[in-house]
Amino acid sequence: MLKIVGSFVLGIVFTGVLGWNMMGGMMFHEHLSPFGVEETVARIQHNIEAAGNGWSLSGLRNPAAAVKADGGNALPVMMVEACSTKYSGPILNEDSVRFLSILMPCKISVYKKNDGKTYIGAMNAGLLGPMFGPLVGDIMSKVAADQAKFIIMDPSKPTPQIIYPKAAGGGGGGGGGGSGC
Amino acid sequence: MRITHILLAALAGLSLAAGASEPPAAAPAAPAAAAAPAAPAKMLSSTADHSKFKELQQSFKSGPEVTKACLSCHTEAAKQIHKTKHWTWEWVNPENNQKLGKKNVINNFCTATASNEKFCSSCHVGYGMENAKTFDYTSETNVDCLVCHDTTGAYKKLPGLAGHPTYKDIEFPPGSGKIAKAVDLPKIAQAVGKTSRDTCGACHFFGGGGDAVKHGDLDSSLKKPAKYLDVHMDAKGLNFSCATCHATQGHNIPGSRYTPTGKAEDAAHMRGKENKGNPASCQSCHGSAPHKAKERLNSHTDKIACQTCHVPQFARAQPTKMTWDWSTAGKLTPDGKRMKIPDASGHHDKYDSIKGNFTYESDVVPEYAWLNGKVKYTLLGDPVNTQGVTKINEYGGSPTDGQSRIWPLKVFRGKQPYDLETKSLLVPHTAVGYGEKDDSGFWANYKWDAALKAGAAAAGQPFSGKFDFVSTEMSWPITHMVAPKADALTCTQCHAKNGRLASIKGVYMPRRDANGMLDIIGWLLAAATLAGVLIHGGLRTYLGRKG
Amino acid sequence: MSAHAMQKLYVFKIFERIWHWSQAGLIIFLLITGFEVHGSYANFGFEKAVNYHTIAAWSLVGLWVFAIFWHFTTGEWKQYIPTLAKVDAMAKYYLFGIFVNAPHPFRLTTLKKHNPLQRLAYLGVMLFIGPLIWFTGWFYIFFDKWHAWGWDKYLSLEWVAFFHTIAAFMMLLFLIAHVYLTTTGHTPLAHIKAMITGWEEVEAEEKK
Repeated sequence: MLKIVGSFVLGIVFTGVLGWNMMGGMMFHEHLSPFGVEETVARIQHNIEAAGNGWSLSGLRNPAAAVKADGGNALPVMMVEACSTKYSGPILNEDSVRFLSILMPCKISVYKKNDGKTYIGAMNAGLLGPMFGPLVGDIMSKVAADQAKFIIMDPSKPTPQIIYPKAAGGGGGGGGGGSGC
Repeated sequence: MRITHILLAALAGLSLAAGASEPPAAAPAAPAAAAAPAAPAKMLSSTADHSKFKELQQSFKSGPEVTKACLSCHTEAAKQIHKTKHWTWEWVNPENNQKLGKKNVINNFCTATASNEKFCSSCHVGYGMENAKTFDYTSETNVDCLVCHDTTGAYKKLPGLAGHPTYKDIEFPPGSGKIAKAVDLPKIAQAVGKTSRDTCGACHFFGGGGDAVKHGDLDSSLKKPAKYLDVHMDAKGLNFSCATCHATQGHNIPGSRYTPTGKAEDAAHMRGKENKGNPASCQSCHGSAPHKAKERLNSHTDKIACQTCHVPQFARAQPTKMTWDWSTAGKLTPDGKRMKIPDASGHHDKYDSIKGNFTYESDVVPEYAWLNGKVKYTLLGDPVNTQGVTKINEYGGSPTDGQSRIWPLKVFRGKQPYDLETKSLLVPHTAVGYGEKDDSGFWANYKWDAALKAGAAAAGQPFSGKFDFVSTEMSWPITHMVAPKADALTCTQCHAKNGRLASIKGVYMPRRDANGMLDIIGWLLAAATLAGVLIHGGLRTYLGRKG
Repeated sequence: MSAHAMQKLYVFKIFERIWHWSQAGLIIFLLITGFEVHGSYANFGFEKAVNYHTIAAWSLVGLWVFAIFWHFTTGEWKQYIPTLAKVDAMAKYYLFGIFVNAPHPFRLTTLKKHNPLQRLAYLGVMLFIGPLIWFTGWFYIFFDKWHAWGWDKYLSLEWVAFFHTIAAFMMLLFLIAHVYLTTTGHTPLAHIKAMITGWEEVEAEEKK
């Protein structure tokens, strides 16, 4: 009996450890981009603008610039921020999940790694959403579907240009502001 | 009140200048003295104030007139310059007798100087080089002192004027409606001084046809760099000038890419002790065991150049050009005009009718190779590799020759014209002298045939009339823009399966390399042993209980 | 087993016990850090693993210097003189006898505290795996001096690492087998207890 309980507990602990280790990787996903950082950013921005569903650009951050301003070096990182009031509105109107505003606006990160290649990182909205009930789950699954479209890199389309936020901040955290939410 | 202020400032300036005037190594302190607030007169670290020399109080009409005045005191200066690459544009590599120098080499940026001298010689330390073959290399007055010794920043040699600055107001670039003012030669001549990041950079920051184009580790951001970009040149810190490392004697500047030092000697140079080594190496100051806190790193210095870890990326302040495809040049707008297409950043072109397609990249992760300092160029007349990539320059080096270290490189890739019959690279005649009408220049009429014919004629090479474009590659060892030590590469950026040195052969690197067979056998045996003892133990318990 | 009368015998002296357990700790730690440096997994991080591995290695070297001194001054080295007598009996015991409660073919005394298989195994560890791992490890540590000392003509880091890894795997195999065999006393923890207290319980000699 003790053995059965023992192995049962052991199994649960093992699964738990395994799950804990994999959780980080599951909550976010990373894709290789065929383009450089700037072109990837520009293409994502234009994809967002063409996506409909109320999506608009709400900022472009450059945290590497802040590191450089403080005398250090960091490989390029640019964060494209986008928002759709169609999706954010219902969540912001529900007291029980208003705290999820910390995930807003929706961010897609574009960065270079030490292999010299450019990667796209984003949150796995489809997996995270259902953890917060059916309302959020439903909205997040739609966000996830749109997000998948944002990161489509179609080389047959001509190179678009980065849309820099109108009120760009100085050398620091980069410009926020802009339209949208 | 105000008088006391001025007096105090002057005193402060004096004491600073006095401190700075003795050893040459204190040169970085001089700009600090110059920057002392509201000093009434500029305090010099030099013992000579050139503005007081009668020889320089003339209304100079041309550059050579200024040089004549300089030479009346500095009698040997021109003779020294005459021996340098900066003047001759020619240098014979003693290793393999290849004739290098700007006059002879061909690159995959703007390609070569032949037929384009009026334009290119804006970066010649001389006046009037319209043709590198016929230029009078013995002329002393045609040496340009000001281009290196100007301290005002007002001296400018515009391309197209064959190495002269402009002596009258002209429209520049032609047809732009902008006016380039005549340079004030007396004022510039009276303010001459030491070379600076600005004077060296006037050419070296703009190589390849624009700011940051060529080197990747040299661009205008080094005029006043922040600490993150260059710990040594940090304008608010050590504030090195180029010559702090490229310590020069008799105008012969050490540290050339034609003779790079693959493996600098181990000990730091000592003052007063004669040393034939390259002063423009990290080791000449730091030695080869510079890591105090993490001593294990010193065991890397035998095989790895300092730059490999300490210049983690190049082009960290602004993007550098990484590729250049000449084969697409010449496309025009429907109404026959030159066109430019911007890239995604909006700050650079990805296409320009006069040059073709480019790509720019910032924070570039270098490529790495063993370098021993030997270099072989593909010169005019040398066969190109029509099947693959032609290496414009090829650095020697191997893990076993004892003279190599692993270096970071900027590898610049492009496509450029070659002769289908002679299989040699071709020199296009691109630029035209200021105000000249010249139909063969590619940048004037976009016709390859005429441009290549004129270029070949000027270079003295045959041209069959048939040409195509060949892929080329040029390597630039990265050595400038040393980052603060906290930003050096960490262990696992190389000690990893797909790390930065993944392609480097000839060294065993823990965590990158392992004998796969041994690992499989080892772990299988360990698993078998574990399984064996578990079975043994199981049997023991089972049979023991039964028994 | 318990039917036999037991007698206590002081076999492991204080130094020996300290030596054994600190050596055990160091070897396990060296295996953990070593295989991380080798690239088998990530745990401490490469840089820390390298530093810890180096420190632990030097500590083990120091410990062995003391141990060698101790073995020779006390004459305990004789415990490791190999003998082939009864080796077959021992093997047979572990393969068959142990399952049917057959009597252990070896009787431990303070003068002969290791059975013949133990003697061979420990001698192998000390005369083969040990030196192999030490010398390859030293070559590894002094890699940057090879050129100055002229060794680079004869040595290749790839082979040094290869043999160092082989030795590490052998040490791992030894560790697994050794830990298991400690459970084969008259109770599973008997040998381990003896290695802690120094007192081994042995069957009393019935006829004397």
